[in-house]
Parts: sequence; C-alpha cells; structure tokens
Amino acid sequence: MQRTAQTGALNQSGRIQASAVLGLLHLMMILFCAITVFPVIYSILVSLAPPRMGMLRIVPEEFFFGHYVRLFSHGQFPRYILNSVINAGGGTVISTIFSAMAGYAVSRIAFKGKNLVFGYMFFMLMLPQLTNIVPLYKIASDLGMINTYTLMIIVFGAYGVPLAVFIMKGFFDSIPKVLEEAAFIDGATAFQTFWKVVMPVCAPGIVATLLINFVYSWNNFFTPLILITTSSMKMATVGLYDFQHVLEGNQDELLAAACVVIMVPSILLFLATRKYFLRGIVEGAVKG
Amino acid sequence: MYAKTAKTNILHSLYPYLLVLPAVLLVTAVSLYPTLYSFYLSTTRFIQGSMQFVGLRNYRVLLGGAAFLESFRATMIYLAGYVLFTVFFALITALVLNKGLRFTGIYMTVIFLPWVLSEITSGAIWRWMFYRDYGILQNLIGPLFNDVGLIVTPWGAMGIVIAASVWRSVSFGMLLLLAGLQSIPKALIEASQIDGADSWVRFRRVIWPLLFPTMMVTTVFMSIQAINGVGMIMAITKGGPGRATEVLSLYMYREAIQYFNLGYAAAISVVLLGINILFAFFYIRYLRKENALAS
Repeated sequence: MQRTAQTGALNQSGRIQASAVLGLLHLMMILFCAITVFPVIYSILVSLAPPRMGMLRIVPEEFFFGHYVRLFSHGQFPRYILNSVINAGGGTVISTIFSAMAGYAVSRIAFKGKNLVFGYMFFMLMLPQLTNIVPLYKIASDLGMINTYTLMIIVFGAYGVPLAVFIMKGFFDSIPKVLEEAAFIDGATAFQTFWKVVMPVCAPGIVATLLINFVYSWNNFFTPLILITTSSMKMATVGLYDFQHVLEGNQDELLAAACVVIMVPSILLFLATRKYFLRGIVEGAVKG
Repeated sequence: MYAKTAKTNILHSLYPYLLVLPAVLLVTAVSLYPTLYSFYLSTTRFIQGSMQFVGLRNYRVLLGGAAFLESFRATMIYLAGYVLFTVFFALITALVLNKGLRFTGIYMTVIFLPWVLSEITSGAIWRWMFYRDYGILQNLIGPLFNDVGLIVTPWGAMGIVIAASVWRSVSFGMLLLLAGLQSIPKALIEASQIDGADSWVRFRRVIWPLLFPTMMVTTVFMSIQAINGVGMIMAITKGGPGRATEVLSLYMYREAIQYFNLGYAAAISVVLLGINILFAFFYIRYLRKENALAS
C-alpha cells in the first residue's frame, strides 16, 4: 500500500522531470541548428546589403539586389555557371544511365563474376579522388583533353558511378520480382522489361541518384581547379576561388552573392528530395 | 527455329555483362588506371621538357625533406582535431535525435545543410567571418585571445579550419551513428530499464558496447575525409600563415600546379594513397563487424 503511493509520487515528479529534460533537449537541438544554419543565413544577408555595409551588421538596413544584377550582367560569372551546368549535368546523365544498368544486373541477374563487379565498385568507392588527380591531369594533357567539356563530363560521370551503383542496387532490390516475371510471361524481352517495367518503378531511385550526383559534381572544386586552366572553361566553384583573391576586402557583398548563387541549387535540390538523398548517401557509406 | 534459340541464349548469357560493362570501363579508365599510373609518374622527373626515369629519387627527396614532415604534422593535427570534435558532436546529436523527439525531421534537415554545400562556398563564408577588422566571429571571440587576428596566427588558423570542417561534417557522422543506434534492439534497452539502470549506466553498459563498431566506422570514415580534404582549407587559409595549415593535399597541389613538379606531386599522392589504404583496411574491418552485429 505504502509502496504504491510512493511509486505514484515518483511517477508524477518523474513526469515533470521528463518534460523538463525533453524541453532541454529541444533547446539543445534548436541551438545546434541555429549554429549550423548561421553561416548560410549570414551569407545571404551579407549578399543583400549595399556595398561595403554588410559584414558586421547581421541584418542590413535596406535590402539591395544590385550585387546579383552585377554578377549576371558583368564578367565571366554567367559563363562559369553555364560551364557548371554542362559539366555536372553531362556527368550526371552518364553516371546515372551506366549505374542504373550495372545496378540492375547486380541486383537482379545471377551471373558469374557478379560479386567481383560489386566488390570492384566498393573498392572504387574507397579510392580517393585526391590521389587520382595528378596522374589524371598528366594523362588528360597528353591526350590534349585539358579544358574540354568532354573531359569533365567523363570524369564526373566516372566519379559518380560507384556510389550510384550502390544506390540503384538498393532500389532494385526493393522491387518485387513478380513484376518482371509478369512482363516476361507477356512476352517482353529482357531489355524491354528493364526499360518499360523496372525503370518506371525505380523512378524515385533514379531521381535521387541524379540529384546526388549533380550536387556532388556541381560542388566539386578541386577536380576542375586542376583539369581546367583557361578562364572561359572554368566552373563556378573555381570562379569563386578566383573572385576571393580579387574581391576580398573591398567587394565582399558581391563575393557573398556569388556564394549564394552556387549554394542555392544544392540546397533546393536537397530539400526537394531530402528522404531519398539521405537514404542514398548513407547506403553508400555503410553497405559493404 | 533452333538457330534462333541458340542466338537468344548467347545474348541472354551475355546480357548481364553488357549491362555492367560501361560502368566498369568508365571507372577503370578514369579512376583505376590513373591511380596505377601515379606509381610510374612518381618515378619520373621533367628534365628539359622530357620525362625521365629517376627511380625512387622523388621519394628520397620527399621523405628526407623538412617540408614533407611539416605537412605531415599539419595533417595529423588537423585530422586529430577534426575527427575528435566531429565524432563527439555527432554522437551527442545522434543520441538526442534517437529519443524520437518531435521535429526530428526538421532538425536533421537543418543539420545536414552544410554537407550539401560546396567546400569552396563554405570555406569562403568561414574566411570572411574571421576577417581582421570586420569579421563577425573574429569580433565575437577575438577578445578572448588578446584581440589578435586569429586567422593570421598558426594555431588560430588551424582552429578555424578545424571548426569549419567539423561544422560541415557533424551531420554525416550523426547520420551514421543514428543508423547504428536504431539497429540496437529496443528489448535490450527496455530490459535494462526494468533492471533499474539509470541512463548513464544504460549508456555505458548497453548502448556503448553495441554502438562501438559504428563509432569506429564513423571515426575511420572521418579520418579518410580529413586526409583527403582540400577545398575547405584552400578557401580559408590557402595553407597559411606560412605553412601552418598546408596539409599534404595542399602540398601536393602546390608542387603539381605551381611548380609543375608532376613526378614529385605524384610521389606525394602515392604516400597519401598509402595512408588511405591503411584507413580503408580498418574501415572495411569495422564495417564487417558492424554488419555482423546488425544481422
């Protein structure tokens, strides 16, 4: 009797304690999120401040869009953006198509050497781009391919393939086999089954793969920094690196605007496909 | 009729290989071949416009010189700080989010933002937050350090580079650890609750041992990130002041592009590859352990 009373009291104080803890945890996460998002918000606000007004004031006195206008009406920046779109877009298309095919084979068909292919892709996933770049530069310049779209599209395509194979395989694994069997019975060829039956069901996986690859290539800085030497072929990330030298200290707001222009597509693509994006990325890192 | 079947059979058996071939060829040409080629390149040197074989000379010069040791030291300091803080913050956020709070989805999305940004934009933002006179963070925390410009002192620059990299990577570590936490059977945790274990004991005795393989996977993953990281540091300090933050990757870049010592740069990249392989070995080992635990 006494014991139940005691536990009752304990429960009540426990509940108050629990909600206090819960509040504290939320507070912690909100603080953490605020710190995380601060540099992004700050750069947007700086880019909207009138010239030479932005850096120390967090919220500008008046919003000024002139930096964006200047960015797109003067100089090379529009060209850099175009180059980024062509290189990242081309590479993404290649890696998505190739990895959809390979992912399908590895997920669905029993064939000799399947584990070898899968293991090879895992090995390639671990092979760093950094240690690859100096010899790649040498080979590409021997072939006369430095400063071409072709080179960048091929390189981005290849860089995207290993992770994309893992993501695509995961999506193909989750599709019931009955679908294909039905198509086979209806007399479809293997190729028709792949394109007309399997691919449409895998659309979310394909979209996720496309977007992850695009964002990674769009963001890539070191590869184009080394493989591209003429100004007109530079990508936006490398252009930003050049701007840093030129604009720093006197036109920081313009620099901020360039940052924002490069950030926005990545952020939007990520927000639009958050769920698949996170799933795809984690799969690449932890599936062995 | 028979001929047709035979033909379809051959096609049928070749079909998986045809599907796999483009992907395999592409990564072999762009990733594997250059990596193998780097071993050869590292034994050469450009002398009067032609490439000549010099044996292990590049390695002797590299490993015997002070520049390499300085860069190696900078890399290790960067790696230690980056991995320690990233895994620490990632663990805390993962433990909190594992409680299934409301708004977990929103928190995760916000925390993940830095990972989807280019290293060069993030680096540029962090750099101007530490400008000498009007950088917003320099003004905030500069007074704690006698008001020196942090970015121009060796330790300050290293600290900023580490802070920025941690800021970028916490989310990814959190995601890995959260996946590990969620694979711990709920029954085990409930059992320990019934036994009356408080939350610290529960963490120490139940969660930690089961999470340990994931912790190691995350730690090694972040170490690999640290070794191969380059964009963030280039944007924030360009290796400065002096060579205080010139990690091996930046050293390689400088040799390859500024001095055009391709053979020497290739030797640095082979050393980097060796470090990568060492980490990859541990990564795969812990990944196997983690997967064995999960299944």
